[in-house]
Amino acid sequence: MADREHNQFVSNSSNETAENSKFDLDVSIEHIAHWLPSQGPIKDFIHHNTLHAVQNYPFHEGVAIAAKIFGARSYLPLEDYQERYRQGRIDDDALDWAIEHSGCVPQNREKLRKRLFAEDANSHYPPVSLANHGIRNAWLTRLEVDLNSLVHPILFRLLGNFLDQGISRWSLPKNGEHFWDCVLRLAQNSLLPLYPLNEASVHGLLSQTPDQVIKACLERIVGDETLYEQYLLELLLAHPGWAGMVRIIEQNSKSLLARREISLKEMLAVELVLELAFLHKKKGAQFPGIAALPRHDSTPLLKNGTLKVKIPLHLRVWHEAMEWSLHKELLAGLKANASPAPRPQPEAQALFCIDDRECSLRRYLEEINPAIETFGAAGFFGIDFLYQGLDDAYPVAQCPNIIVPKHLIKEQGSKPKADNKTGKLSNMHFTAHSMFRGWLYTQTLGLGYAVRMAWNVFRPGSKLPEIRTLSEVESHSHLHLVRESDEPTEDGYLLGFSFTEMADRVGGLLRNIGLTKNFAPTVVIVAHGSSSVNNPHFAAYDCGACSGKPGAPNARAFAWMANNNLVRAILAERGIDIPDETRFVAALHNTSRDEITYFDPHLLEEHPVPGLHVFQQSMKKALQRNARERCRWFELGPQSQSNEEAHDHVMERATSIFEPRPEYNHSNNLYAIVGRRDLTRGLFMDRRAFLHSYDPATDTQGDIMARILSAVIPVCGGINLEYLFSRIDNSVYGAGTKLPHNVIGLLGVANGVEGDLRTGLPSQMVEVHEPARLLLVVDQTREILDKTIAKLGPLKEWLDNEWVRFVACDPNSRELSLYSVNGWEAVELSGNYQVPQASHSEQIIPGKTKTIPVHQLTRRHA
Amino acid sequence: MNALLLSCQFIPLLGFLLVFLSDRNEKKIAAISFWCSHALGLCLAGLLALWAGAGFPGYEYEWFTLYEAGEYRFPVLFYLDRVGAVYMFCVWAIFSVIVKYCRVYLHREAGYKRFFLTIFAFVFGLNMVILSGSIDMLFAGWEIVGIASFLLIAFYRHRVQPVRNALRAYTIYRFCDIGLLLGSWMSHLLFHESQHFSQLANLFDNPAMPPAGYASLLLLSFLILIAASGKSAQFPFCFWLPRAMEGPTPSSAIFYGALSVHLGVFLLLRTTPIWGYHYFTRFIVFSIGLLSVIIAAISEKTQSNIKGQIAYASITQVGFMFIELALGLETLVLIHFLGNAFLRCYQLLVSPSIVAHLLRVEGAVDTDFYIKNGSSRFQFLPASIRDTLPEVLQNTLYVFSLQEGYLKLIVRAVLWSPLKRLGATINTMNPRLKLLSACAVFVLFWLPVAAIGINSKYLAIPIAVFMVLASLSAFSQKHSPFGVWNAIGLSSILAGVAVWFLNPDAWFDVAIFTSGIVPAWILGLAVLAALLKNENFADTPFAYRAMAETQPKLSLLLFLSFLGLVGFPISPAFLGEDLLLSHASNHAPWFALPITIAFVINGIAAARVFQRLCMGRPSELNVAAEDMALEVKHTVETSQPHTA
Repeated sequence: MADREHNQFVSNSSNETAENSKFDLDVSIEHIAHWLPSQGPIKDFIHHNTLHAVQNYPFHEGVAIAAKIFGARSYLPLEDYQERYRQGRIDDDALDWAIEHSGCVPQNREKLRKRLFAEDANSHYPPVSLANHGIRNAWLTRLEVDLNSLVHPILFRLLGNFLDQGISRWSLPKNGEHFWDCVLRLAQNSLLPLYPLNEASVHGLLSQTPDQVIKACLERIVGDETLYEQYLLELLLAHPGWAGMVRIIEQNSKSLLARREISLKEMLAVELVLELAFLHKKKGAQFPGIAALPRHDSTPLLKNGTLKVKIPLHLRVWHEAMEWSLHKELLAGLKANASPAPRPQPEAQALFCIDDRECSLRRYLEEINPAIETFGAAGFFGIDFLYQGLDDAYPVAQCPNIIVPKHLIKEQGSKPKADNKTGKLSNMHFTAHSMFRGWLYTQTLGLGYAVRMAWNVFRPGSKLPEIRTLSEVESHSHLHLVRESDEPTEDGYLLGFSFTEMADRVGGLLRNIGLTKNFAPTVVIVAHGSSSVNNPHFAAYDCGACSGKPGAPNARAFAWMANNNLVRAILAERGIDIPDETRFVAALHNTSRDEITYFDPHLLEEHPVPGLHVFQQSMKKALQRNARERCRWFELGPQSQSNEEAHDHVMERATSIFEPRPEYNHSNNLYAIVGRRDLTRGLFMDRRAFLHSYDPATDTQGDIMARILSAVIPVCGGINLEYLFSRIDNSVYGAGTKLPHNVIGLLGVANGVEGDLRTGLPSQMVEVHEPARLLLVVDQTREILDKTIAKLGPLKEWLDNEWVRFVACDPNSRELSLYSVNGWEAVELSGNYQVPQASHSEQIIPGKTKTIPVHQLTRRHA
Repeated sequence: MNALLLSCQFIPLLGFLLVFLSDRNEKKIAAISFWCSHALGLCLAGLLALWAGAGFPGYEYEWFTLYEAGEYRFPVLFYLDRVGAVYMFCVWAIFSVIVKYCRVYLHREAGYKRFFLTIFAFVFGLNMVILSGSIDMLFAGWEIVGIASFLLIAFYRHRVQPVRNALRAYTIYRFCDIGLLLGSWMSHLLFHESQHFSQLANLFDNPAMPPAGYASLLLLSFLILIAASGKSAQFPFCFWLPRAMEGPTPSSAIFYGALSVHLGVFLLLRTTPIWGYHYFTRFIVFSIGLLSVIIAAISEKTQSNIKGQIAYASITQVGFMFIELALGLETLVLIHFLGNAFLRCYQLLVSPSIVAHLLRVEGAVDTDFYIKNGSSRFQFLPASIRDTLPEVLQNTLYVFSLQEGYLKLIVRAVLWSPLKRLGATINTMNPRLKLLSACAVFVLFWLPVAAIGINSKYLAIPIAVFMVLASLSAFSQKHSPFGVWNAIGLSSILAGVAVWFLNPDAWFDVAIFTSGIVPAWILGLAVLAALLKNENFADTPFAYRAMAETQPKLSLLLFLSFLGLVGFPISPAFLGEDLLLSHASNHAPWFALPITIAFVINGIAAARVFQRLCMGRPSELNVAAEDMALEVKHTVETSQPHTA
């Protein structure tokens, strides 16, 4: 049988825990807190591996453990895979490959194969789990008290009001007050009771510390010390959203604008007291504890820290076969594309973000004008800082969240402030809640909203007046980049950069992408952002490498620094000689509207850039074609051949209040390629690839590669896995559908008024995603990569445990090898698969509504 | 004009049927709804033009008589006047906007068809309420709106919380149906033939001679007020409205922002002559409005979520409408209604913008947004209160606001807990003991009847008591869906028997009633048996079993059976309910109360069974165990945290 049972004790501390069963609250809280989602307040959305908690296990095991804990699906429904097989998107070669790699002993393979094609609508359902069927279930099944439905609304109201960032009129905490103290104040010093804390039996508890309260409550509610930790874990798993938010704020109070003092312990204390109070109210003083109640046989137990999990082998094989089918398409394409045509001397160069949404734009730009050379790099362009624009209320970090910025940059401008008083009439509907003013407004202006609503719904595209689109961001200001004094600000930031620091950053990036010579006269730095309306998740649409912000300030800063003569002088000393006629220009690509804005026109006037006009013309065409390629995903979009129509449509999408999908973001993401553009130039990759430029020849020790990977793996891998898990189980790992979302306290969204915060991605972002792991292909030899991998530190587990697939592509021979923890394995591609060919991109797209395999483009000019 | 009126009423029904018959093709459904909203607009424009041409009369149209027996008539009666016209216009305007909005907004949503079906049913019910010419018709529409509302709140049936809140809203609706059912019974009693809305005003023309005594008018006004304040989420029912915001945002906008919440106001507008006749009742309306305004305005201050805030803002404005009504400012109410409906609808639709608005707009321009301006605005209570009130009163005010005026607790303690406790006591009794004591009580009543020859109608008393007890037993029965279904069936049949005892001539009417109930009951039992074939229900009585997903056909049948049992206007039981009540009114007025209570509680109990079985998310526990041979089993250490 394929029935392999191995008891896996990953750590050797299990025996210790068994003996040393004395319950230690702080240790337990540390243990259980790592199961909580780590998604911060919604204003900055940072993609990360949803299952980071099990990243130290191999992928399939980790997924199975998480399923057992959270009650989530691990794979797609079986029939989805079978359907893909029938459509030819999973082929037999891949299936054989997956079976071979599944660890199934040969004599069982026939049986496994049969199982793969069996009809079965149920096997993908979530397993019996700690979150849904744990020991806390006994309250409901044995005592018939639905504690969650009693406690949650009250706890969520308290938490929501305590953490609120500006929706409610009256905030709950006084300055610097802790959550526990705040609840005490309301419970003890008020004439009206704070239900249910008025229960006499819990009143005495309230004067103790949270530690004591938790222990006292657990003793009464659970009764058996070995079950305490599981009980607390189940408590938190019943509302992972709020628990995770509290944990984030506890660890990093800067993630809130209005600071709040709260900890998981205080929250647990409040929740347990509420539970105890309700139990007393419903059952009197003599109810049995959890340990005393009889349990169902199937109840999962965390005793001694072990958990039995099962990996359904047939689903695992199907999943890997699907992934391998998709991955093979790129690998075959890379091989087929071995001898690219020589390209002319570049007239213009453009540096884009690594983002998969720029993949197609770069292709079009090169197709339209082969004299344009494109590069890719993480979209903060190596410049890490906090940025405060003219109109920003507070500074925000503009770099991946693994970097802690030390520099603060402010925007300065001379434009007169528009005198905007409160209560602009067009924004009235955001304020007209209060009693008498509301009465007056509804009586007088309410009818006007009939017109406004009809206008917005029947004539979208005429944008909402109150939210400016990104393209209209003021570009008449300048960034204050040069540091004038080394005195740090109050918060400990340095105001601006010194010229050496600038040269470090500019030079570092140029070396990373291998652009140290052959500079074209025009170099455009293209950041990206996305504009949408009526969309609380707007931050998830912006640049992932800028912590969910548009990358415009980074592009402007980079261009300014690279144009500066002092910086250039330092760079020249270090061997990067930027010719005088080369000018850097900053721009912003709006990925939802497919528009581009060029920044700092006053600088362009001072130093005219003659080549820019030609570039702009090509860019304009490229954006229209890009819009059309995106439109093939929009079922309600135009299916015509017209690029203009498509472009109008995407503009309309971004401004419709009823459009939950302004764009499909990263939903195509699948590949990441770190290497020369020659590797992929001439491949149609269907907007699926994160592209980072890299020159293997300059990196003999693998240092540059290690630097690049330390950003690429968490950023791209994080995006990929967040999409993957949100797609596989949208209701547990994802945020569910956007439609019923209700914004809570500017912290996040919930379903309805009393719901838990939803983490992950809403279904409208991931529905067309093919949930496959990232294939990371790097343009380097295995020997140098071995050195690189040794330098990766904690990121190595992403590769070892196969949370991303890692393939080396030899720069000279184009031999492909797949990495695994046991070493490199040469990739054999069977001769059956022919890489499809087409003369240009627009020949491929028409009529296609699903993902398209990698094509080789035979003609380079359009 | 009559044809136009009928088409205004039935175009949504036509749309409903077309959508029902179409497959799950979005484009088709969108086209149907597009044409329906336009056709409705055309008919409405025509109707209003004709009506205006005729000089804005109060226009009544009797289509046909559904049923007539002796004194009893159930005419299908329509009525159009100024109030109806304004409401009709508003319904159409918001309906067409929402339909257009949802065509894109719900794109690719799993429940696309279900959503449009419910919206059409809702508009059909709404038009029926607005165009109805008598309280009976209005009640039919009211029921349709209630069920549509229930289904839309529970639209996301995978999650427990929408399902629970749907039941909460539904129980409030059902409770308010007591008011309306008894109200319609009393209007039969008081006005006989003349319960038409068109004639109401005339009845009260002579100030010296009211059509009924003060006491009964007071009672009737009171019943109507219960119905109105329940539907409009007024005192003491404010709490359900914010919790009903569980469906897709546009459905919350159309139901709880715009239309459904103003139905109570409509009911009061329709029945102004009845409750406006006396200052005392006017004062009660005024007080309800005022209390709602105060409580909702205070509760709104501490709503940290945007939809809850809009809901309480809306309740406040509806409270003002009650006040305006009490003061007799009907035109102002109509303007206020339009303004509030459109504003709240729009606010809800753009509510997701609040993040961008607060951070990008208010944070940007030179306002007193707290982040920029040293936190002058966003604090614990406004400065004026902080400076004047002592600390303890400040906390008290905040707690009052946080607990939303304690209304939820009060309503639960007063209304539901006693019923539940009583029902639970009955259920714990031994079934034989129950039967025995039932027989004993019955015999006790029967003896004097048989011996002394008192009118046998007094036998109806014990039967009525048993009926209510059976309903209560259904209400608090949690362990067996069969038990619930049987108790409901028993209670309904006892209702029929009681009426038969009261009036032996009414056997035909009782037969109509039972012809609705019995098939629904039997169907329900059969479906339950099929659904629970492989289940051990008692093991996990509180799990949501998600059968709408695993067994969609049977679930639909169970839903139909549920509708039949609660006397939904598609079943003869609806007419039967009305008939039974009218007999009650003729022979024994006291009987109206128990029978209404039984009907209402039956509805809630049946809804709960339906939810437990059909809604929820499927997981391995509730699918049959299968061959797990090809699995890799692991035991994994989990207590060691991963710190990366």
